[in-house]
Amino acid sequence: MKTRLAMAAAAALALGAAAAAQTLAIRAPIASKPAFLTTVGQSADIEMVKVLLDRGSVPHKDNPQAKAGDLAPSGAKTLVVVLGGSTKGLGAAGISADAEIERARALFAEAKKLGMTVIGVHVGGEARRGQLSDRFIQAAVPACQYLIVVADGDKDGFITRLAGGAIPLDKVDRISKAVEPLQKAFK
Amino acid sequence: MARARTIPPRRTKAAAAVIGLLVALQAHVPAQPGQTPLNLYGRGATGANGVVAAAKPEASRVGIDILKMGGNAVDAAVAAGFALGVLEPNASGIGGGGFMVIKLARMKDAVVIDFRPTAPAAATPDMYALDDRGRAIGNASVEGGLASAVPGEVKGLLYALEHYGSKTLTRGQVIQPAIDWAERGVPVTVNLAQIIKDNFGKLSRFEHGLAIYARDGFPPEVGDTIVNKDLANTLRLIQARGADAIYAGAVAAKIVAENRKRGGILTLEDLAGYQVKVRTPITGSYRGYTILTAPPPAGGTHVLQLLNILENTDLAALGEQTTAAAHLWAEACKLVFADRAAYSADPDFVTVPYAGLASKAYAKTLAAQIRPDAVLKSPAAGDPFKYESGSTTHFSVMDKDGNMVAVTKTINMFFASGVVVPGTGIIMGDDMDDFDLKPGSVNSIQPGKRMLSSMSPTLVLDPQGRPFMALGSPGATRIIPTLAQVISNVIDRGMPIQTAIGAPRLYQGRTGNLSMEGRYSINAYNGLAALGHTVTVNPDYDAVFGGVHAVLFDRAAKLLHGGADPRRDGQAAAY
Repeated sequence: MKTRLAMAAAAALALGAAAAAQTLAIRAPIASKPAFLTTVGQSADIEMVKVLLDRGSVPHKDNPQAKAGDLAPSGAKTLVVVLGGSTKGLGAAGISADAEIERARALFAEAKKLGMTVIGVHVGGEARRGQLSDRFIQAAVPACQYLIVVADGDKDGFITRLAGGAIPLDKVDRISKAVEPLQKAFK
Repeated sequence: MARARTIPPRRTKAAAAVIGLLVALQAHVPAQPGQTPLNLYGRGATGANGVVAAAKPEASRVGIDILKMGGNAVDAAVAAGFALGVLEPNASGIGGGGFMVIKLARMKDAVVIDFRPTAPAAATPDMYALDDRGRAIGNASVEGGLASAVPGEVKGLLYALEHYGSKTLTRGQVIQPAIDWAERGVPVTVNLAQIIKDNFGKLSRFEHGLAIYARDGFPPEVGDTIVNKDLANTLRLIQARGADAIYAGAVAAKIVAENRKRGGILTLEDLAGYQVKVRTPITGSYRGYTILTAPPPAGGTHVLQLLNILENTDLAALGEQTTAAAHLWAEACKLVFADRAAYSADPDFVTVPYAGLASKAYAKTLAAQIRPDAVLKSPAAGDPFKYESGSTTHFSVMDKDGNMVAVTKTINMFFASGVVVPGTGIIMGDDMDDFDLKPGSVNSIQPGKRMLSSMSPTLVLDPQGRPFMALGSPGATRIIPTLAQVISNVIDRGMPIQTAIGAPRLYQGRTGNLSMEGRYSINAYNGLAALGHTVTVNPDYDAVFGGVHAVLFDRAAKLLHGGADPRRDGQAAAY
């Protein structure tokens, strides 16, 4: 009996794992290349997302402090935003949290006007949460059409709740595993 | 992640009163994430024979093993120092330098070994182009070749070993644990994983660092290990040849080549000419306890100055975490930092009024400027000459013979310049950023000059002049008030060393907001705001306030206690 149960459990786990590897919250690509990469919160996590886009063969330009006016000249079809705040990053950029949120709102408005897809990526895990980061996440998530999150960063379901079932969201357990959903989001 | 403050019912009125203010502040000074998960257990250690408190538990154990092998406190400190360069690669290492205060039981006077990096011969006061905020364009004082000064770590640690070590252990034995850890691999903790993520861009820009500190092109995860075979081989060369292995020959040539490839100005002559400086500690007292600390270009003078100002008030009577006590600390810090900016620099290049800064009479004049009911807006530096008569790691060691060592060392910012010398595992420091980048200040760049530091390794003797405590901290300018607070917690409040380290901290610069850890009393917060302070509430345990590692001798119990900081990865070991 114990053996049968163990085998059934193992099979279920294997199926689950396979499903997790293959099934994404989006059924078909939603975004077009090239992409424009920026942050909402000035965190250094943008550096890891650059690598993700490179690995996913998504051509991109990046500017952590991009203004709305930078989007059209870039020719980008998709705006990728890295979610999460950094006091150090804000300080280095010489920008307040309020001004950063205003910058993001202007970017989202311009992206909508240009018909760009917006993808939000949170790769900073638990450390990229808290009072500061959550303000940026809260401001950015409603503007996204797709979210990719390293699971540690959503242990409390905060991002999932913000997505509210209306915005497709995929969680991965390591940063490196975000390549697959990001790649598959692009046509 | 910042945790929400839980406010007991009796504090709800006060909380309601302050909520509006907190909300208003939030827009400007939001809390930063702290280290999670936070582990408050098992940080301290107690033993009868020896104790080491360091920023990594493995480094503390290295020191204890050396003591067990018959080494003295200096042998243990040097071994722990080399090991920390491997175990905490983001904080210190061969590419950096620091300060060490030594008092062996047989020594009448303590000694300070200054192995702070030195500006290269080609450095000039205007070597960095500055933006309109006074920062080096392209972050050149922080990242890349131009950020690096001539490193002092290896010469400094080996000088201490040769002159103050027990001579019962060889250089090879003392360095071997560092080699073992470089080959075995450094455990990636929550803290280290986050530091690598935060500095991934810098490491990526200089690809040799990425080869060591990334996994499959991404930052390693908690539980991974970082093996650094190149660094193991470099340490083997030091085992065999001593400091010459770094400051001359093939490794020196590699350092210079990589530095210049990344825009630097280091030369073989700079490396060959690096000299350790042996300095006399600044000596003073606090409520009968003797304070022996590192003089300029280190920051110990200002730790003593701060304690001298506080000594004019009965701190214990002001109560713990009260408005009055916090106000006093904040105002005293403003005065100290005003003087630091005006006077402190490399004493080999400028006249630093040490004795005046550390004088009790001068401190009395500063203390008189502090009003209990008002806030100093922008204090100017005083005139200590009138009284003139005369992202770092810290570890402390004490042994049963009463030998004491306190070492603070750094490569400056986390992962420093980002430049890793290929084939050596050495991360080059970015200490040049500690100079005033504008010409014309006491701390402006000059060839061969050492940049001002807040590092303040400190020894404390009891009122009978016997070994009592050794301590220090990383944390840039926060080091100075942080150390003074821990010393005060022990002396004024009688706290055990681990409790003194864990207690909530505050920081106040010459101007700007008063920062307090989230555990600080809400009543103090209210009171301080009412007095006119602008207060930033930081996470409950925030690494920005440093990482104090201290050892203390409880003479009555004949026990040595080590305390380590939960704000970082610290853990003491003892036997």
